[in-house]
Amino acid sequence: MIRFKCNGKAVQLEAEPEARVIDVLRDGLGLTGTKEGCGRGECGACTILLDGKPVNSCLLLAGKIADREITTIEGIASEDGALHPIQEAFLDKGAVQCGFCTPGMVLSTKALLDENETPELEEIEEALSGNLCRCTGYGKIVEAVREAGQRLMHESDQQGDA
Amino acid sequence: MNVIGKRIRKVDGFELVTGRAKFAGDYKFPGMVYGAVKRAGVPAGRITSIDVAAARNTPGVIDVLTAKDIPGPNLIGVLPPYDQPLLAENEIRYAGESVVLIIAETAEIARSAASSVSVSIEPYDPILSVEDALAPDARKIHESGNITLSKKLIKGEVKSAFEKADVIVEGVYETSFQDHAYLEPETVCAVPGRRITLYASCQSPFHIRGHVAANLNMPASSVQVVQAVTGGSFGGKDDVAAEIGSLACIAAQRLNRPVMIAHERKESIIGSNLRHAARIDCKTGALNDGTIIAREITVMLDGGAYASESPFVTMKTLIHAAGPYNIENVEVESTAVFTNKTYCGAFRGFGVPQVTFASESQIDELADKLGMDRLEIRRINGLKAGDANATGQVYQQSVGLQETIEVIAAQPALPDRIDVARYLHGTGYACVAQGISNGAEGIDVTGASVQMSQDGSVLVGIGLTELGQGSRTVWAQIVAEVLGVDIENISVRLVDTDSVHDSGPTVASRSTTVGGMAVQKAANEVKKSLVSMAALMMQTDEENIELRDGYAILKMDDAARIPISSVATAAYWTGFPLMNLAFSKAPEANFDDDTHQGDIYIAYNYGTHRMDVQVDTTTGEVKVLNHFAAHDVGRVINPLGLEGQVEGASLIGFGMAHMERIKYADGIIQNANFADYALPSIKDRIPTKSIAVEDHNPTGPFGAKGAGEPPVAAAAAVFANAISDAVGFRFTRLPITREDILDAIQQRGNHG
Amino acid sequence: MRYLKPSSVSEAADVLESSRGMILAGGTDAYVYMAEGFCHPETLIDISSIDTLRGIYVATDDREEEVIRIGACTTIAEIAASQDLPTCLRQGARAVGSPQIRNLGTIGGNVCNASPCGDTLAPLLCLDARFVLRASGGTRVIACEDFFTGPKKTVLKPNEFLEFIELPASSCGKASAFRMIGNRKGQAISQANASVSLVMVDGRMSDLRVAVGSVAPVPLRLGKLEEFLTGKRVKEVSLAMFKEPILEGIRPIDDVRSSASYRQEVTVALVFDALAECASKDSGECEGAGA
Repeated sequence: MIRFKCNGKAVQLEAEPEARVIDVLRDGLGLTGTKEGCGRGECGACTILLDGKPVNSCLLLAGKIADREITTIEGIASEDGALHPIQEAFLDKGAVQCGFCTPGMVLSTKALLDENETPELEEIEEALSGNLCRCTGYGKIVEAVREAGQRLMHESDQQGDA
Repeated sequence: MNVIGKRIRKVDGFELVTGRAKFAGDYKFPGMVYGAVKRAGVPAGRITSIDVAAARNTPGVIDVLTAKDIPGPNLIGVLPPYDQPLLAENEIRYAGESVVLIIAETAEIARSAASSVSVSIEPYDPILSVEDALAPDARKIHESGNITLSKKLIKGEVKSAFEKADVIVEGVYETSFQDHAYLEPETVCAVPGRRITLYASCQSPFHIRGHVAANLNMPASSVQVVQAVTGGSFGGKDDVAAEIGSLACIAAQRLNRPVMIAHERKESIIGSNLRHAARIDCKTGALNDGTIIAREITVMLDGGAYASESPFVTMKTLIHAAGPYNIENVEVESTAVFTNKTYCGAFRGFGVPQVTFASESQIDELADKLGMDRLEIRRINGLKAGDANATGQVYQQSVGLQETIEVIAAQPALPDRIDVARYLHGTGYACVAQGISNGAEGIDVTGASVQMSQDGSVLVGIGLTELGQGSRTVWAQIVAEVLGVDIENISVRLVDTDSVHDSGPTVASRSTTVGGMAVQKAANEVKKSLVSMAALMMQTDEENIELRDGYAILKMDDAARIPISSVATAAYWTGFPLMNLAFSKAPEANFDDDTHQGDIYIAYNYGTHRMDVQVDTTTGEVKVLNHFAAHDVGRVINPLGLEGQVEGASLIGFGMAHMERIKYADGIIQNANFADYALPSIKDRIPTKSIAVEDHNPTGPFGAKGAGEPPVAAAAAVFANAISDAVGFRFTRLPITREDILDAIQQRGNHG
Repeated sequence: MRYLKPSSVSEAADVLESSRGMILAGGTDAYVYMAEGFCHPETLIDISSIDTLRGIYVATDDREEEVIRIGACTTIAEIAASQDLPTCLRQGARAVGSPQIRNLGTIGGNVCNASPCGDTLAPLLCLDARFVLRASGGTRVIACEDFFTGPKKTVLKPNEFLEFIELPASSCGKASAFRMIGNRKGQAISQANASVSLVMVDGRMSDLRVAVGSVAPVPLRLGKLEEFLTGKRVKEVSLAMFKEPILEGIRPIDDVRSSASYRQEVTVALVFDALAECASKDSGECEGAGA
């Protein structure tokens, strides 16, 4: 039995500690938004946040997530279905083509922007360097990250004013 | 235009950014079991025995299938007679060949049981090069021999033309195998029944349906193929989807349980088609004023173990090898050859990147020999409306090559070429033309349906597939424009062979052009019903009605308007049809088979690229400072989508030119993973700036032409030319790696 | 398979002694080896959540000398971000895998995996690191240069694991830098890498260490080059002068990632660049642990 927090909710389920977290999420919890592109930590499609930090869920063993907090793509939009500013920016800027790398890209972006809403180009490239994409050529992804940062800053400014 | 030409975001994007989109691996059915194959592991030989005892005895293993368990012919392919077995029975023709299928309760068990299968193979000396395959006494890989297809294009008379030439340049150019490297490995999921359903990550569901049905020995109508959301394809998910799709269906029917087969990354590289490696011998003759008067080109494609799309790629290279130039005398011979390597087939660009690299390299060499500006020589020879291209085809419109050259010429030059000791700088140019539609590769018909509901919302159905390229958005825009409804009210169906029409394959940059025409035609028919109904309702003539902003509007009085939903409801009850199935048939190619002179494609996309590079002379590292990519796309339907296509295709071309190479040793791929097969990461991206030139194309919807493929070729060629310019050395083999660059610099003693 | 998660170092040592299982830290390499079938451990001993194995702090070593101590399970990301560590080690850490890998992977894992291309190995070698190895009977300390015995091979006995890495406190007073090159710019595996540390005394190079990776079965110190450079001003040396002493020292191979000849050529450039970066700073740049 493994207990952890997933997308803000306490979860407990039967899983072998040596099972991969990607399998626990996809098969155990039905959270199929986390994608497997290589199974070796080389493509980033399976990226989730572990205590807010991006990790490859294909390399992460279930025994390691006990009592920790996981965020998957399913936990990014708000509960009423409204998209997160990062998701909106990815759509508006054309950063999504086939979409298979997108969940991982969005999560790596979230980890970056949670720390810094106005990252330099080099910081964006560093933060997303573990997420491969074959469709976009990455330019629109960079634009989307910048745009999302701007929108988040605007949001927090507004909240600050309120 | 209200919707055409606007930056519209992907109509199917919501599901993708939220993780809700269902890719094939996300399907789950009660009782589902998993398949994995045992692969040959040696490149050539004859199977003498197969021992599956250990696999059968593995707990959790449910079934073990070999070739004799395939009900049908155990063959797939693109052109009959098909040559590729689902499971090899006797001959092994490449190391990735599937031999035994294991079905187990979990994928892990299936894989581990597959590895316990022992296949005894009496090895042959593998044939690992085109030269070996063509040797007079070479072993025949297939009964028909080792040549898949060989064709000639003959225009004018090259021999005498070369005698008149003031300058002749000759060279040999080579390119390597490239993997599609889509992020989603190939995956299928079969659900059995009296009719069987296959959910597949795939590019051409109808093609797969045919193969599944044949190999099951069932009629095609008993098989339903549903394209799952597909995580990239670029030409790659066709043969392999037919292979694992057929296997999954066969196993599912045997066991009466749903079966999923999902490739691991390694299998995706060794067991599905690659881009052909090529050797291109090229000779060009010109007059002193720069006019090219003759080109003679021989293309040799290493097609690997099976024919797949090799015949069509051969044709494509044949037609495109001479480039987008007005040359009176051209002779091209293209040949695809079998070898004992992973089979090659369709990959974005389809042979054009290989020949464009050769052709454009040589254009630079010619300019240098003539002492002429490299852009000027392209201007002098570049095709214009009314010129005859290499196949003798003349287009009176939509030949925008010259405009792309001028747009590129007008881009700002590199500010300062500061050749400090350590860095070299260079600029390259390359032009490309790529035929749109199936052209010489087959008749081009597309069916599409448009169906309006009483509430005014619209469902579009077409048999071409969304693979990430944004086609659904383009089709929705076309319908929105024609019917005057908000794009939010338009949905594009899944490609389900039960509910959409066979539209032929999603290839050849034809989705926007040929697919778009069918969609536009169907939408126009629905529009007729709406306009007729609205005219009745407003008691006016039909020509006074326009559909816009969700209303039928009286042209002379903007305030006189009826919501489209009301018009649709009235039309429904009046019995005016609100659904139409339309066909778009491209004019058939009409050419001579011996010379390939005649009309081939409905249009060409033309492009010119410029790239500025900086080379580190101590490591060979390259920084791309600028990349301008101008393409004549006829008309831009969606700038956002177009830029994405140009940027993405360019990076694939750049990968081919600089970073990516499948490495073989003794017929075994050595770098079948993403650590050692280096597709570009975000830090390797290039600053592509897409520039659209719009030269109206009469054969496309609203004048549009496809654009998904051509940038691959131009980006690969322009990189080679930019690097050659920087280093002062002509590179003749792709990829040009850091190591190659450093070698060249050191041999020239150019550093320090 | 058994998966054990001991809560202390001594418990881990006892479990290892009795089970002869496989030590698991971040698991980023271990998982891949298992998936590829390179190893089939019956027992996994996950030491990553043992508190004492994490963190970077000042301590006194077995010789009563002040050292910077790094817990073996400190993540690569933590190393990369630490202000308390010499630049070359932080730069080496930044070159490991991807952000995702660095958040899971540990310095101990990178060291004990002993891949010739491991990006923290050359930095540790050029910083005179010492490794504290733990077994149920106690600890022993071994110098970095004696630790690696071949590709993926170390002196670790089946009942031992790495507990700490210790750097001389003086390493923070040195200038240091790391450079690598791989088959792409992001998420690359080193085709070659180089790490340099030195102190500039009156504009001359002193206390110089040069270490290189991915160009021999184990990370190497380039003693000849160090000798050649010591006492010289940076302006006096050029890339061409480097070549001989470097090429004499290294033994690169041809493999799927690179040819031997490219590794040779590029190692010269990497060492030169790392040296140039060191020389551009006059002294140490890290704060020192606990400061």
